[in-house]
Amino acid sequence: MIIKHILRPAALLLMLVGFVVAQDTGTIYGNVSAEDGAPLIGANIIVVGTGDGGTSDNNGFYEIKVAPGTYSVRAEYIGFASNTVDNITVAAGQTSQADFTMTTATLSGEEVVVTALGIQQKTKALGFSLTEVKGEELSLIKEPNAIEALQGKVAGVNVTTNATGGAGTSRVIIRGNSSLTGDNQPLYVVDGIPIGNRNEGSAGMWGGADGGDGISSINADDVESVSVLKGGAASALYGSKASNGVIIIKTKSGRGQKGLGLEYSSSTTYRSLDEGLLDYQSEYGSGRGGAKPTTQSEALDNIAYAWGAKMDGSQVIQWDGSTGPYSNHNNLKSFYRTGKTSVNTVALSNGGQVLNYRFSATNLDHDDIMPGADMNRKSFSLNANADHDGKIQAQINVKYIDEDVNGRVSMSDSPKNANYSAATFAPTVDVTTMTGVDGAGRGEDGKELRISTSPYTTNPYWAAHSYINTTRKHRFINSVSLRYNVMDWLYLKGRAGLDHFTINSQWLTPFGTAYSSAGSMGETEKRLSILDMEFIVGVDRDLMAGLSTNSFVGVTRNNVLDESLGVSGSGFVLPGINHVNNLKNKDGWFGYNEKEVGSVIGSMGLSYNSFAYVTATARKDWFSTLSFPNKKSPNNDLYTSVSTSLVLSELLSLPAAVDFAKVRFAVSTVAGGASNPYALSLSYKLWDTQHLGQIMGGINGSTIPKLDLVPLSKGETEIGLDLRLFESRLNIDLAYYSNKTTNDIVGVGTSQASGFGSASDNLGQIENKGFEFLISGTPIQTKELTWNVSLNGAKNEGTVVKTNDIDGNIGLGTPRTRNIQVIHIVGESYGLLYGQSFKRADDGSILYDVDANGIPRAQKGGYKILGEGVPPLTIGISNNIRYKNFSLGFLIDGKFGAKIFSGTNTTAYWRGLHKDTLEGRESGLKVSGTDAATGAAGSWTVSPENLRFYYSHLSEIAEQFVYDSDYLRLTNLRFGYQLPRSIVEKTPFQSASVSFIARNLFYLTKNVDNIAPEAAYNAGNAQGLEYYGLPQTKSYGFSFNVKF
Amino acid sequence: MKKRIIILSTFALLATSCDDGFEKMNTNPAAASQIDVGYKFTSLLLETSANRYVAWRANLIYGSTMIQHFAATAGYWTGDKYTLNEGYSASLMDTYYQGCAKVVQDILNQLDQEEKPDEMKAIARIMRVFIYHRLTDMHGDIPYSEAGKGYSDGILQPKYDTQESIYMDMLKELDESAAALGSGTSGFGAQDFMYNGDQAKWKRFAYSMMLRLGMRMTKVNAGEAEKWVKKAIAGGVMTSNDDIAYIIHTTESGLNKNGNGEVFSADGNMRMSKTFIDFLTGDPRLDVYAQPGAGGHKGLPNGYDSGTLKAATGESNLDNYSQPNRSSGTGITGEDDPMFFQTYAEVEFLLAEAAVHGWGDGDAAGHYNKGVTAAMKYLSLYGGTEIADADITAYLIANPYDASKGLEMIGEQVWAATFLNEYESYANWRRTGFPTLTPVNFPGNVTNGTIPRRMIYATGERSRNKKNYDEAVARQGADNLTTRVWWDK
Repeated sequence: MIIKHILRPAALLLMLVGFVVAQDTGTIYGNVSAEDGAPLIGANIIVVGTGDGGTSDNNGFYEIKVAPGTYSVRAEYIGFASNTVDNITVAAGQTSQADFTMTTATLSGEEVVVTALGIQQKTKALGFSLTEVKGEELSLIKEPNAIEALQGKVAGVNVTTNATGGAGTSRVIIRGNSSLTGDNQPLYVVDGIPIGNRNEGSAGMWGGADGGDGISSINADDVESVSVLKGGAASALYGSKASNGVIIIKTKSGRGQKGLGLEYSSSTTYRSLDEGLLDYQSEYGSGRGGAKPTTQSEALDNIAYAWGAKMDGSQVIQWDGSTGPYSNHNNLKSFYRTGKTSVNTVALSNGGQVLNYRFSATNLDHDDIMPGADMNRKSFSLNANADHDGKIQAQINVKYIDEDVNGRVSMSDSPKNANYSAATFAPTVDVTTMTGVDGAGRGEDGKELRISTSPYTTNPYWAAHSYINTTRKHRFINSVSLRYNVMDWLYLKGRAGLDHFTINSQWLTPFGTAYSSAGSMGETEKRLSILDMEFIVGVDRDLMAGLSTNSFVGVTRNNVLDESLGVSGSGFVLPGINHVNNLKNKDGWFGYNEKEVGSVIGSMGLSYNSFAYVTATARKDWFSTLSFPNKKSPNNDLYTSVSTSLVLSELLSLPAAVDFAKVRFAVSTVAGGASNPYALSLSYKLWDTQHLGQIMGGINGSTIPKLDLVPLSKGETEIGLDLRLFESRLNIDLAYYSNKTTNDIVGVGTSQASGFGSASDNLGQIENKGFEFLISGTPIQTKELTWNVSLNGAKNEGTVVKTNDIDGNIGLGTPRTRNIQVIHIVGESYGLLYGQSFKRADDGSILYDVDANGIPRAQKGGYKILGEGVPPLTIGISNNIRYKNFSLGFLIDGKFGAKIFSGTNTTAYWRGLHKDTLEGRESGLKVSGTDAATGAAGSWTVSPENLRFYYSHLSEIAEQFVYDSDYLRLTNLRFGYQLPRSIVEKTPFQSASVSFIARNLFYLTKNVDNIAPEAAYNAGNAQGLEYYGLPQTKSYGFSFNVKF
Repeated sequence: MKKRIIILSTFALLATSCDDGFEKMNTNPAAASQIDVGYKFTSLLLETSANRYVAWRANLIYGSTMIQHFAATAGYWTGDKYTLNEGYSASLMDTYYQGCAKVVQDILNQLDQEEKPDEMKAIARIMRVFIYHRLTDMHGDIPYSEAGKGYSDGILQPKYDTQESIYMDMLKELDESAAALGSGTSGFGAQDFMYNGDQAKWKRFAYSMMLRLGMRMTKVNAGEAEKWVKKAIAGGVMTSNDDIAYIIHTTESGLNKNGNGEVFSADGNMRMSKTFIDFLTGDPRLDVYAQPGAGGHKGLPNGYDSGTLKAATGESNLDNYSQPNRSSGTGITGEDDPMFFQTYAEVEFLLAEAAVHGWGDGDAAGHYNKGVTAAMKYLSLYGGTEIADADITAYLIANPYDASKGLEMIGEQVWAATFLNEYESYANWRRTGFPTLTPVNFPGNVTNGTIPRRMIYATGERSRNKKNYDEAVARQGADNLTTRVWWDK
């Protein structure tokens, strides 16, 4: 309450003061340019000691009105060293000129980056690791979910994407996982406001559709920069939300714009099935026991079994009773289509001395390769700034996103999942014969055209076209901030922001669906509002000779209101009318969650003679989610950090080759979790159905609640070195960190027999140690040719230290095959694949039992650790080559050290689709191993008609289907041409460029067949499982950009 | 001014009341801290009758085909071929603890806290026995004494009790519960929609369950079996079809529906087993249970897929085989058809068996006849016309009780009478060996061509309750389909 009382009047006061305009008497003006003479747009110009300032316009020009006097004027620009011109004397009514030629800051550490709470700091003052990525690196990729562009760009940031297409969810993990079972994704802060990044539905063991995530709403074309705050010290000011790192996104503004400017960019990319990954057998057709189907019933029974005869092109009865050639069909290629993504952006900006703005509108159209899966996203953004003589600075950011997605892609289990059907048909089956009367898999009777005896083998056209799974999202991300510079060293700053979105989703299992003939449907509306307020008082001044401070204290409050309402039911009164009002049985629900965190924050920064920096921060958070009557444990916690930076190159005499050298050291404690409201005690609810007039109810939820929970705590120590050599032709940035999570809230492994699915306790502990490097250089730099190359990499070693009271295992997820789990085991790496293994003899050979039919059956060795699901080693190699007006950029990214369990290959084995199953089809498969009965070496031949049983048994053993997921991939490729100035001058444009862009073109190395090495199931913690997602795609296309 | 601002903000820093209203905010507006115990009990009856998940897997895919009521060529009907699908096999354990064992424990705790009358506790305890007897019969040693107590006692990893000790405790529970029941209506009243709160019927159900459990021990401990069978008979078991313990289902939602019925709606792959159709030929129940195939009644032999079926019989059209009777309203496959916990017919057959063993009144034939009569008459609860007395009489004349093969005849009749309650049918066959079933030997079966003797444990137990699981496996034998449970040894 105190916070609210302070925030409100203070904000009002600040707004009033904003209208008081000071008198002007003289003008300082000038140009800001880079070394090559190019104007620098949007540079900050500061009249030192006055609070006056301005920004440079489109031509690099600035002007600032000041009182008569003699001043030092400083220019700052991100990526460049700040530059100061002293002794500028201004008389009343007169003008004085101060020009700045800025040098790239990599030499000096003077470049400015965005840190926590949007504070801009020079890199040399940073005592922690921070990587800033320019907005264009996101926008050049043209992926619907722009955050995917971070993959391979930032050491220590591991991005994986669900195998669910463009509207799917991404998983971003910084420096390993901090929580055993909680959320491990970073906090996203957009223009100062923490935004929601919830996953709106994902596939689990029983299937499901990927509902997308929150970060995908951010329009890449609007992003100016992305700051990745990796460690605890960088993100400590975000306290209990900081344990997974923080990604700060700053959007483009009209700052620096002089007059009106218009920019238009357009791109079209195409995506197609990456056939290079697919390697199924194409020699044997539908059937069992080596025989072709001879009746329609057999054809139906065997539609997904390729244990038939060798293909010979003969006419054979098909699933629909017709006859067709017994020959190979590339069903995946036939079923999927060529996808297309078009992005068009218009941006208008305008700027004067006091006011500037940028307005942009983007339309993104995306058709995925899955028929029926498409999305449209319209994004509008308005950023406006007012700057009254550097005294009062006001900023408003308004974003509106309207996203419409059809055919959200299902994966995992079969019904609804067209991927499953399309990929499991025997190769002699022709998927294109299944389109039905309407192309949507509908039979003559209006129902699903059954293509199998099993109702669970979905007709893929029915799944793609007749099912409905759409979402419509309307989202506003707004913020206002006001800064009042009371003195040249004292400021007040208030900020309030709201991230609000509404998602309307509709799903339909149509009437006539084979496995659910009555049909069912539902409508859901989810509303999420995140209200965030912040008020700080800050001091930025010299204290004594050589010593200065930059400090502040403040209060914040963050309220999250999460509501959902919906109606769903089954059975249609009038089949064909797909509307919930037409349902026979329906239920409605309303979900309501509210939680709040109130905080006090403080930061004290000291710098000594520009070579030694110390910053200490503290934040105390109070949690509504930990508040409950009679609770004895505290509902608050304190988080602190200390970071130091020592610029050796200013302190010591270093060899001439060293331009800049800095060491940094930081310690911090941050937190996370404890984010579910109403989780402290058992509650009951009534079921929404009665029975024979009797009310029914029971225990709400299946987790055993615990009253005395606290958030997890994460302590981290970080050291780093920043070296710039040979006039910045070679830069090296190294970081080592060691962190430990304690008190992690874990759903402790709970036996089914306890009656509950899980129990919560503060017992989890994880350690992560890691090393990150970024080596970048410019091997060639001439007037016409420049070659920049950078190599980043990170090795994270995550160890599960403690799971629960008995240090039992924690299961995270199980795929549909149910022969493997992702699990935490004390003393081992995070997220192990733990599954059914082969039982082996002492010499390592597989032990076989021979059954009554003479089939050798590998003995099961029980559940064993078969690998870890999260790659500990990630690398990215970027190259940018510019020759005259041509540029070529490409990114290779790689991940190493993890494994993936392939459910797709498991199924491909027992269905006879996998290439490995070809051996022995004619004369039997020879299997060698140890005879379990005798202990002697044995060798058996599985007859062709028994191969199916042999592989069926083998497919129960997960070990067979766990592969190295290591890969190196050509992730991005861009070839661009910038129209030369001589030509541009004859056009109405200021600049124009055109590029060829491509993504995921091919793998340089990989070890798993038929699937992508990181075909993720969902964005949860159970990584390393794969089961019939959308196949890997590659994309390519063109983009162009013109500025007027 | 400056100083004032700094002082003010320092105060803000020191402020500790950043949590006003948080306790209220963190109270779930959509849930209650406690509800009427009867609401839970009504729900428990339906949960125990079981949902589609477990009806499909444990009861039908495994139970009904192992016992050769049904047969299916589809590969996922694993019980037909003695192949292993771990999830299906473990499905009862996977669902019953959370769905039923937890709930009955919560009910018992609440009844204690609220000091409710003993008869309500007795009824809850009988339900508890019913739940656990089904679990232990399927899996053997299971968590029992420590189970369902995750919240109340904080036991996350309950130990596995031996089936023997579970049986002894269940029998004791039935004994005490029956003793606590009087006459008149219990505190649950109509919330107990099974018996409408009728204490006398619960009492007879308790003794009938005691009869069932006591008889279960004939192979392993005839002395104990005799003791409890006699006690049950003396206590008073079911006396007519009015006493049947069964659940009426309705179609409002999944919870209300008959789980078997939901399976029949979703899955058309099961056919009447040849074994069962052959037995039912000449039985008035044939057309109640089954509907003929295209050319009349014909049972599908167990243990074939479509390929091997054709090779063995020349038949490739499954429509030629009899299906369960799907007639709307009068068939047995409806989502609103009843589900039976224990029937009076079963009780009469148990009494007949008791007579054979010399533990009862000696009138095995009389009980046999009453059992057959009840088993035919109670089928009208499915909605069809009651089988005519004349037809029953004719059947009994054609199939008179023959003391020389009494146990076999009784076993066959139990098998016929427990169609769709496959848990019980399977348990009875394992104990008595009747009816005599010919096992199948499908390639890839995991039982070496023998009918499975138990279902495996929930797979999650291997990791989530490893110590206790390992201990149970070490004691009972491998966690597979062929290890025999205690009373089956």
